[in-house]
Amino acid sequence: MDYPLIVDVFFVLLAILAVVSGWRVFCTDSMVRASFFLLVSFIAVGVIMILLAAEYLGVAMFFMMAVEMMVMAIFMVMFMMNPAGLNPMMMVHQHKFSIAAGAAVFVVLAAVALLAEFPDTPLPGDLDPVKSLGNELLGDSMLIFESAGIVLLTTMIGVVVLSSHRGRYGAAEEGSMPPGLVPGGDPAGMPEENDEGGGHHHCH
Amino acid sequence: MIVSELILPVLLVTFVLVLGAYLVAVLDEAIAGALGMPRATSVWTAPLTQGAWLLTQQANATEAPDWRAWRLAPALYLALAAIGLAVVPFSPTLIPTDLVTSVVLWGSVEALATVVIFLHGWSANTLLALIGAYRYVALGLSYILISMFVLIGVALPAESLQFSQVVASQEGLWNVIRQPLGLPLFLIVGLGMTFWGPLNLADSRDLAGGTASAVSGPPRLVWNLARAAMLVAFSGAAASAFLGGWLGPWLPGPVWMLLKMLAVLAVLLLIGRLVPRVQPERCVTLMWVVFLPLSFVDLIWAGVEALL
Repeated sequence: MDYPLIVDVFFVLLAILAVVSGWRVFCTDSMVRASFFLLVSFIAVGVIMILLAAEYLGVAMFFMMAVEMMVMAIFMVMFMMNPAGLNPMMMVHQHKFSIAAGAAVFVVLAAVALLAEFPDTPLPGDLDPVKSLGNELLGDSMLIFESAGIVLLTTMIGVVVLSSHRGRYGAAEEGSMPPGLVPGGDPAGMPEENDEGGGHHHCH
Repeated sequence: MIVSELILPVLLVTFVLVLGAYLVAVLDEAIAGALGMPRATSVWTAPLTQGAWLLTQQANATEAPDWRAWRLAPALYLALAAIGLAVVPFSPTLIPTDLVTSVVLWGSVEALATVVIFLHGWSANTLLALIGAYRYVALGLSYILISMFVLIGVALPAESLQFSQVVASQEGLWNVIRQPLGLPLFLIVGLGMTFWGPLNLADSRDLAGGTASAVSGPPRLVWNLARAAMLVAFSGAAASAFLGGWLGPWLPGPVWMLLKMLAVLAVLLLIGRLVPRVQPERCVTLMWVVFLPLSFVDLIWAGVEALL
C-alpha cells in the first residue's frame, strides 16, 4: 500500500455519501429534490474517481452531471402536472416490479464484484491522465466517439427546433395560423364561424 | 506536509476571498459615489455597517420553504467561490491546489453555480424568487458554453488544462493580446455567473430582488458575501487565463496577481454601474446568436494561432 490512510477514510465517507444520497432520491417527494440528491451522489462518485487518479473524468463528472441534473429537473417540472416541483408527489411506482428488478440487478452486480477477476496492473506514477484520454478519444476509438457526438448534436438541434418559439406557421406567442388552401384564402382546417357573431366582413 | 498542503492553502483562499469581497463592496460604493449616485458617509465603513446591520436582523420565513436547501444555497455558493479561487495560481510555487485539470474544475464551478442559484430561488417557495431561478437557468447554460469555448482557447497554446501552465504559456505574449476576443467574452461570463450589473437578471429589481427577494438577516449577508466572493474568484481566473497571472517585472508574482485581480474587479464593477440591465428575452438571443458564435471565432482563432 503506497498511499496514505486518509485516502481510504475519504473513500469510505464518499461511498457512504453516494449510497445514502442515491437512496434519498427514492424517498423524497419532489422531482427537483430527487434530481439534486442524484447530483450529490454523482459528485461523490466523481471525487472517488479523482482519488483513483482519473482526474479528468472525475472533474468532468462534476460539470456534466450539474448541467444534466439541472436540465433534467427543469424538463421533469415542465412535463409533469406539478408546477415548480414543490408540491409533494409520489415519486415511486410499479413497486413489485421495481423491487424485483432492483434485487436482481444487485445480485448480478454483487456477483460480478465478488467473482470476476479484475486486472491487477498498476499504472506508472508519471502517467498523464489527460494526455492518455486525449489519445484514446482521437486515436483508436475516434469513430465511436465521433458517431456518438454527431448523434448527440442531431438530438440537440432537434430539441431546439421543437422548443423554439418560431413555429411552422409563425411565432408561438402570436398564435399559429395555418396558411389558406388557396393563395390569400382563409386559414385551412379552422372551425366554421357563424355569420352573426363573426364581424369579419369589413368594408373599408 | 499537513501545514503546507492543507492549512496554508485554506488560509490563503479565505484571506483573499474575505479581503476581496470587502474591496468589491468598497470599490462599488466608491464608483457609485463618483458617478453621482447617493453614497454612504464613508466608503470604507459602509460595507461593514451594512453587514453588521444584516447580522442583527431577523431571518425571514416564507410559507413552507425547503428549509435545508434555502439555508444551504448561500453557503454552497460561497463554497463554490472558494473552490474556484483555490485553483488560481498566485506564483509558480504559491498555488493553493495545483490540480492537473484546474481549468475544467473552474468550468464545473460555473455549472454547479447554476444549480445552487436555482436552488436558492426555488427553495424559497415564493413567486418572484422562482422566476429569478428559472431565468438564471435559461441564461446560465449559455454562459457555461461561452466560458467553455473561451477557456479551451487559452488551454490550446498552453497544451494543458492546468491554470499554472496557462499562465506559464503567456511568458512571451499575454492571452489578452494573443486572443483579443477572449477576455471581453470571459468578462461577460463573469458578470453573468455573479448576476452583476447589466446581467443581473436573477436578483434584479424588476423581480423585487429575484432569488433573494424573500431572504433577510444573516442568510442575506451570506448571499451578498458569496456573490462578491464569486466575483473575486472570477477575477482570479480571468487574471490567470488572460492577463498573465503572476508574470510582470519588478514586483513579486503574488503582488502582480493581486493587482491584476483588482483591475479586473474595477472593470467589472464599472460596467456594472454604467451599463443598464438587459431585457431577459433579448439577453438569451444576444448570448446564443451573438456571443456564442463569437466564442467559436475565438476558438478557431486560438486553434489557427496554435498551428502557425
